[in-house]
Amino acid sequence: MAAELICGPKFGSFLTTTIIPITAYATMATCMVIAASYMLGRMLSNPKLTLWSKTEIVQLFVSLASTLLIIMVVGSFCNVNMSEVAQIFGASGSGNIYDAAKGYLSDAALHAHHAITVVRYQLQGYTVLSYFNALKCEIPMGDSTGLGCFFGQGSTTMQPLGGYGTVMAALNFALNSSLMSFFTAMNFAFILMFVYRGFAFMFLPLGIFMRSMPYMRPFGSLMIAVSFSFLIVYPLMLAIFGLMSDVILKEPVDMSKYHEKAYPDHEGAEELATSMAGEAYVHDMYFGDGQDNYVGALNFAATAFIGGVFFPTVAMIAAIASVAYVARLYGDEIDLSRLTQLV
Amino acid sequence: MKKLMLLLLMVPLAFAATGWEPIAAMAIFISGTLLAAVYIVGFGLGISELQMIAKEELFQLIALLIIIAALTGTNGILNGISTNAAFKSDASSMQDLGLDVVGTWNESLSTALGNLATMDKAISIEGSAGGQCSILGMGYSVSGCGGYSMLATPLSMAGGIAGFAVAEVSAMERLLEITKKYALSFILPLGIILRTFKMTRGAGGFLIALAVSMHIMLPAGAIFGEMLAVTFLDDSAASAGYEDDPGTVSMGTCNPLETESVSGFKSMTNSILEADGPGLPDASIGSGTNDGKAMNAYKKMRAKLKDYLFTMLIRATLGPVLALLLMMSGLRALSAIAGADVDVSAISRFV
Repeated sequence: MAAELICGPKFGSFLTTTIIPITAYATMATCMVIAASYMLGRMLSNPKLTLWSKTEIVQLFVSLASTLLIIMVVGSFCNVNMSEVAQIFGASGSGNIYDAAKGYLSDAALHAHHAITVVRYQLQGYTVLSYFNALKCEIPMGDSTGLGCFFGQGSTTMQPLGGYGTVMAALNFALNSSLMSFFTAMNFAFILMFVYRGFAFMFLPLGIFMRSMPYMRPFGSLMIAVSFSFLIVYPLMLAIFGLMSDVILKEPVDMSKYHEKAYPDHEGAEELATSMAGEAYVHDMYFGDGQDNYVGALNFAATAFIGGVFFPTVAMIAAIASVAYVARLYGDEIDLSRLTQLV
Repeated sequence: MKKLMLLLLMVPLAFAATGWEPIAAMAIFISGTLLAAVYIVGFGLGISELQMIAKEELFQLIALLIIIAALTGTNGILNGISTNAAFKSDASSMQDLGLDVVGTWNESLSTALGNLATMDKAISIEGSAGGQCSILGMGYSVSGCGGYSMLATPLSMAGGIAGFAVAEVSAMERLLEITKKYALSFILPLGIILRTFKMTRGAGGFLIALAVSMHIMLPAGAIFGEMLAVTFLDDSAASAGYEDDPGTVSMGTCNPLETESVSGFKSMTNSILEADGPGLPDASIGSGTNDGKAMNAYKKMRAKLKDYLFTMLIRATLGPVLALLLMMSGLRALSAIAGADVDVSAISRFV
């Protein structure tokens, strides 16, 4: 679970042994640069340098305070019980905020995978049915034979289960859409895992140092803003959507009827003989339990898109919007909105 | 003093109903308390920056109050319009009406897709038939029903369009379900809470805009789309030939050993092009032959085209696109009003 990554003891160790010391080193290094600049300014009687030093020391405290705030909020998020939050709003949830965020994307990916299973099953069934050929003898005697086949051959070939071009065209679109939803949900989940592994924390010391370097303040602000947005806003938004997953990821068809086998069941000699005797057997092999539900499959693909693409994209947009707002607090104008075009 | 009075007048408004209003009021109250604390500290210690921040945040809080008051009023007005007997007397809210409308679209589309699938199946069964006759190794095989195969391609294309439409409307139906259950009771209060803090103002404003757009614009778009369609259907002169319920087309049984060609091919082609008697097979086409039966089936399908166009393009494409565009436009405008200038182009491209 996410707790093992971002809220667990290993992560705490990473924070205390790596991030905080590096942050301290960055702060010290920046202090030294500022102090050297101040001394140089006094030595050369250059008011520009002393003024710069005074400005930067204030900015250094701002950066340090932001970093500590982010670490504190991350700690608080690890302790938030989402089931209690859910009770306030009449929803359902579990774990902390980071667990809930990861849980939502995992469930969205699973939901899309279920959609793929349902669509694929029906595509397979319809393909088999449409290729099922029957030989109908002339002068029929019963269902499967006739006098026409005894003396030479007088018969008609046909596909008694018909064609499914219409349905298969619709289902092919649904399969493509479900696959895209699955990959998108997985993509967002990997971004989240990347955040949970601690990459965003590495931006904090870098941000502290860069914000006080000449001409590098926007870059430093960007680092801290990205850390804030991806450590706090992005998981928070996903966790919020996770509380709504009862409705967002509600499955429109009964998944227990579908499976991922290439063939519905083991084919013995008896089954094969029966299949040669009648098309009803082949039809029931795939769709005997009411699995013939292409409208349900299309619904499933649509809900997979809503759960796996629409809402995670909304979370990403909110996170990217947040970067601009946090950067504005530091007095910088950073617009990452074009990043959303990658979605 | 007048501003303070206005603020005090707005507070009971926030408590006027159960649902999101108490949570919104609570968030505003907490935010106001924090601002007061910041101002007191700034005043007490003589830090002018803190006092400035508190004043700026108070302005944001007043803006939020105005947004909430406008939302409450707009929701009431639109619900009043949407539940008007002229539109639908038995709907309890605009969101219910939107769900009803989209549910009807979905049902109509599913029926249309089912009809197409039934036609495709029947045509494929007939078109797959081939006859053979042999004695002592000599004989012939005939695919006398090949003419039916021309119908498979348009049906397949229609299936692709109908499938897309069903998925589109299903997605919209799910969005409306989410809207009905969570937009005001969950997303909006969370947005208000997040907007009260400076660091999360962007995300909060975006959530407020999302909740309002989903709650008002999405169902409104569906209702307006339906109104357009109904108005069109009510105009009998304009909508002649466009039915709300696309039916199915019957076709003659194919005899695979029958090889007689259609007589009078030129006159048959002309009659198809001229489209005399929509929905009816032309008596001049040799309906006794396989090719004639296939041509008649094609002609019946062609006559039904307007019904399918209405169901799929007006109901399932124009309606949802209108609703989603309204929602996206609303999201963009409202997010700017709510203090979050968010680029929603990524979501707009879903439409």
